[in-house]
Amino acid sequence: MYEIFELIFSGRQRRVATIAVLLIVALAGRAQAQTPAAAAVPDFDGDAQPVAALGGGAEGFRSLDADIQDMKQQLLELNRDLFLLEEELLFPANTQVAVFVSMDVGDFFDLDSVQITLDDKDVSNYLYTAREVDALIRGGVHQIFLGNLRAGEHELVAIFTGAGPHERDYRRGATLTFEKGIGPKYIELVISDRQQALQPEFIVREWE
Amino acid sequence: MDRQHSRPLTRQLAIVMCAWLATVAGTDSASAATGLVGAEAPDFVLKSVDGENLRLSEYRGDIVLVSFWVTWCGDCRAQLTELNDWHGTYEAAGLRLLAVALDRELSDVRNTATLLGLEFPVTHDAGLEVRQRYSVNEMPTAVLIDRDGVVREVFEGFRRAHGQAMLDRVRDLLRE
Repeated sequence: MYEIFELIFSGRQRRVATIAVLLIVALAGRAQAQTPAAAAVPDFDGDAQPVAALGGGAEGFRSLDADIQDMKQQLLELNRDLFLLEEELLFPANTQVAVFVSMDVGDFFDLDSVQITLDDKDVSNYLYTAREVDALIRGGVHQIFLGNLRAGEHELVAIFTGAGPHERDYRRGATLTFEKGIGPKYIELVISDRQQALQPEFIVREWE
Repeated sequence: MDRQHSRPLTRQLAIVMCAWLATVAGTDSASAATGLVGAEAPDFVLKSVDGENLRLSEYRGDIVLVSFWVTWCGDCRAQLTELNDWHGTYEAAGLRLLAVALDRELSDVRNTATLLGLEFPVTHDAGLEVRQRYSVNEMPTAVLIDRDGVVREVFEGFRRAHGQAMLDRVRDLLRE
């Protein structure tokens, strides 16, 4: 092959041609490596091995499937334990503060976002999607903030934005001054309807 | 004689140099956004030009193509027009398109979206936080995300000819 190459080119030409060929080969190899997904697509046109040849037929597959399901279950349990452990370590009970959002009815207020300020510091600004608002109306409770605070007096300001009665832009704030003791502190922001005034109502309350 | 001996040595040196050059050139051309391929797509929530809040993770289970664009970029508008054609065809098959505009003014974004007649959600990343999370440096940049929320491909820049290659990758993912 190289003899033919030498016959065609000579001297400087040959060196240039060699470099050009090598560059093309290197770039082609790179382009092929950039499309791994295309290469990973299984071939169903007849080259695939028969299922039975992979070991034990249907029974083998059932057993393998059960093993996989067991492992998945164990992994989920392990993940849950790790999550709880992480939460205990990062937010110990003596400094933990959690803020939750809940909604009651919601006829007079279409929630868009909630902004939380703790001691003049923005700690959370959450935009709610339509599905999340729907979940809140169905009785869901959303943990909007989880953090640490030292013992003592603190002030929480929650600003609610959304659409009020008659589709008007609505922005309302609610504040709470609370005493953080040695135990964890849970605060709930409740959005409810005030039927008599046909207006939404925003309540900030501490969980006992 | 010496000249004959030095010839294979020069050839070997040239081979090593070429291989090194090809590797270095390849590394430099890869941007930060392509580094996300294979990783979980960073979640975000943005307000659409219609006023709706859209969260990426709520599209889990569908193939998502997120297109980062700006109104003054001609290639971006060409890509959005192409994507708009796909929307009607592939939406039922599970393809969700999401445009993320990086302009400063929402009104510019809204006007351009109306002008192009975009039928899929157009969101506005006013704080450029999502752009930072995806390390977008080139316009347009399209990020293809699979049903498990993993980034499968990042397309940077756009020419008409690129549309078919993008569509082929989308079809591959829809078949998976």
